[in-house]
Amino acid sequence: MTTVERRITQLRSDFDRSFAQPLGSHDAGHVELLAIRAGGRPYALRLAQTAGLHPDRPVTPLPGPLPALLGLAGFAGTVIPVYDLAALLGHPISERPRWLVLATGTPPLGFAFHKLDGHVRVSAEAIIGEATGAGRRVVLRGMATLDGTARPIIDVPSARAAVHTLAGHAPGTEEVTR
Amino acid sequence: MAEARDPLRYFRIEARELVDQISAGVLDLDQEPAPDLVARLLRYAHTLKGAARVVKQTAIADRAHEFEDVLVPHRGEAPVQVPADEMRELLRLNDEIARFVHDLEHPAPPVEKPQEGRSGPASASSSSSAEEDDEPAPRAVTADLDELLDAIGETSARIAPLREGSTTLARLHRGVEALGDRLRIGRSTGDAGARSAVQRLAGEMGVLGRRLTDAVDQVERELDEVRGRAEGLRLVAAGTIFTALHRAVHDAAEAEGKRVRFTAHGAEARMGPNVLNHVNGAFLHVVRNAVVHGIEPEAERTAAGKPAEGSVTVDVERRGRWAHFRCTDDGRGFDMTALRRVAQARGLLPEGREPGPQELIDLVLHGGISTSGTVTEVAGRGIGMDVARDVALQLGGTVTIDSHPGQGATVQISVPLTLLSMNGLIVEAGGVVATMPLDAVRQCVRLPAGDAATAAATGRFAHEGQVVPFLPLARTISPGAPDNTGAGVAVVLSADGDTVAVGVDRLAGTSTLVARPLPDLAPATPVIGGVAIDSDGNPRLVLDAHGLVAEAHRDLAVGGAAPEPGKPRLPILVVDDSLTTRMLERSILESAGYEVDLAASAEEGLDRAHRREYGLFLTDIDMPGMDGFGFVATTRADPLLGHIPAILVSSRASAEDRRRGEEAGASAYVIKGEFNQEELLTHIRRLIL
Repeated sequence: MTTVERRITQLRSDFDRSFAQPLGSHDAGHVELLAIRAGGRPYALRLAQTAGLHPDRPVTPLPGPLPALLGLAGFAGTVIPVYDLAALLGHPISERPRWLVLATGTPPLGFAFHKLDGHVRVSAEAIIGEATGAGRRVVLRGMATLDGTARPIIDVPSARAAVHTLAGHAPGTEEVTR
Repeated sequence: MAEARDPLRYFRIEARELVDQISAGVLDLDQEPAPDLVARLLRYAHTLKGAARVVKQTAIADRAHEFEDVLVPHRGEAPVQVPADEMRELLRLNDEIARFVHDLEHPAPPVEKPQEGRSGPASASSSSSAEEDDEPAPRAVTADLDELLDAIGETSARIAPLREGSTTLARLHRGVEALGDRLRIGRSTGDAGARSAVQRLAGEMGVLGRRLTDAVDQVERELDEVRGRAEGLRLVAAGTIFTALHRAVHDAAEAEGKRVRFTAHGAEARMGPNVLNHVNGAFLHVVRNAVVHGIEPEAERTAAGKPAEGSVTVDVERRGRWAHFRCTDDGRGFDMTALRRVAQARGLLPEGREPGPQELIDLVLHGGISTSGTVTEVAGRGIGMDVARDVALQLGGTVTIDSHPGQGATVQISVPLTLLSMNGLIVEAGGVVATMPLDAVRQCVRLPAGDAATAAATGRFAHEGQVVPFLPLARTISPGAPDNTGAGVAVVLSADGDTVAVGVDRLAGTSTLVARPLPDLAPATPVIGGVAIDSDGNPRLVLDAHGLVAEAHRDLAVGGAAPEPGKPRLPILVVDDSLTTRMLERSILESAGYEVDLAASAEEGLDRAHRREYGLFLTDIDMPGMDGFGFVATTRADPLLGHIPAILVSSRASAEDRRRGEEAGASAYVIKGEFNQEELLTHIRRLIL
């Protein structure tokens, strides 16, 4: 392979990879955060724990035992349950939230919140860690200070675990008992 | 081009079709000889022979020819039973042709040859590849259908802006009309020319808007239809497994020297190929077992006053989201005495206790015990039961056995369907659009406002000289919405042999759709049977007829007052050190239909909260010991209690206290001085439905 060819291959693969690599995984020293509001309070989400962010997604209400379950949303032929983050955090359920973030992991799960304040990249030192959910709410892990506002960080896997508990995650049980 | 590369391309399709028809026809001929059946079989065989010769498949052509030779003497005769040896010959030829056609469809991969030198691994790999080869055709079709569905979804998405455009146009039209009105009324402004121009503009915009709306409506409806049908194509008719089952019954009967008639119902029920393949595998054992262990020898049957010919019936029935596969025989039933003896000999039953029939049957379901005295070649040692149970478990379903000694037995496998093609009636109630299974709907009756109100208030509806329960759908699927007092429609539907009427606000047409189960993490009331994707890609609720019938009866039983169907409403825990407040709050909550528990301190409250499941905490702030803020914060931090909303009720009205309450995690803050019963109940309803 000539030098030019090698160079072209290199450039081409760099070009391709610039699309393939998720933003924010370039260095370990920084963390990508979504600054959000749920139930009128500021929070933050780690972008790496999310699989997509959507505004104004239609959510079909699903009547059932869980007020925190807003309903179902359709994503490319998959039906995904959507839970209100505010309700999971213990805030009163007020108007229907506008934003929807998809959680990583399975089964598919979406969280809705009211307001998106922005997408920020902060240095890892700006985040105050917390080993376990020892705080007042089990889905919160650590804090981040953005623009002078302290934001508790919502740990998406913990929020997912909370939903699994709420829903008594056992697929198919409602048919069996009928 | 394609023909040049693969001259057998079309022959494979035609031969498969003919072989399937021949296989089914031969079995019918054995059971019900008829001249037209002979003629039909001859035609199939002849067509196959001709087609096979054209593509130089002499092995197939020769056997089709032999097949004809056997049948020709029976042509045009009055119905006469084809002699057993000729039947066997026909079946043998049929099997050989089927094997050749199968080999054409699944050519052995060329890489196998060099592997022949190796002994063990080679045979293992070839058998596994044969298994994989069983699937490719449906899989490719499924992939094509998925692409088609994606394309339809994409098209639907492109139509959405058009829909928005027509809304915008309607708004512009209204604006122009308003402008025209103003020009007409206000004398000073504008001249006659401008006025008429505006009027003309308004007229044209109106026409354009209507046309656009109509066109978009129609395209959406048609796309909906196409999508429903395409999704339906993924599904396979249950009848496709009947020939194999018939053949299994025939072969087992022949091996046992018994005469058995096979009948099947429900061929048209459609379901996923995966479900059907699994159930087919299990039912091959089940029908063989029925012939071998169930059906008695002819002499025994005649002595018992039964027809000499035994009967094995397979029924496939779709009920809501479930498919039921039943195999019923009129044989001797499961031999309970033998089962009991074997079970006891093996120490499977506890000593000193007489096991009930169902317990013994459960042992059969767990395999290992066969009722046959000798292990037969065809169906030994209860393997069939074991396979049936495993298949049911694998598909998330159940097996039941109903045995009547001397009369016969029924084995039923019930499995939930993941995809279900159905025709739906689209209804609207309380602002929610949902789909009802059309096959359960008996009638739709327009309800004037007065009748609708009466039906909703009494929970009763007169239908064909009968009073049936009436369920206002909005009460169940849209609990927040007020009961509709206007005119509506009563949809009369039947399920489980029961008829009820369901009140909806309006009907919005019918559509073909594919219902799928609710996703994990989405518990819902039992009236929701599943979910379908509409043409915009959004989920639409599919109601379950059985759930609706049950709910209508439940609603009638509780007097229609339950705002939260399906599950009992969780109780509320009131925490307050003042007896008066506790009693006041209890009376308000109880009269609103809630169950209430009381605690006189935060500590007592925490104790109670751990002993029972609550839907809400209502707590005072100022209490001896731990205060209300402490109670709220403690419960928020508790993984078992954190999800239960808490409301603070206090005489403290300062902004600072509200802030502290919010920080502690309270869902609402109600001030005692301004104590407003309605406000409190509104908060509560919002939090626990």
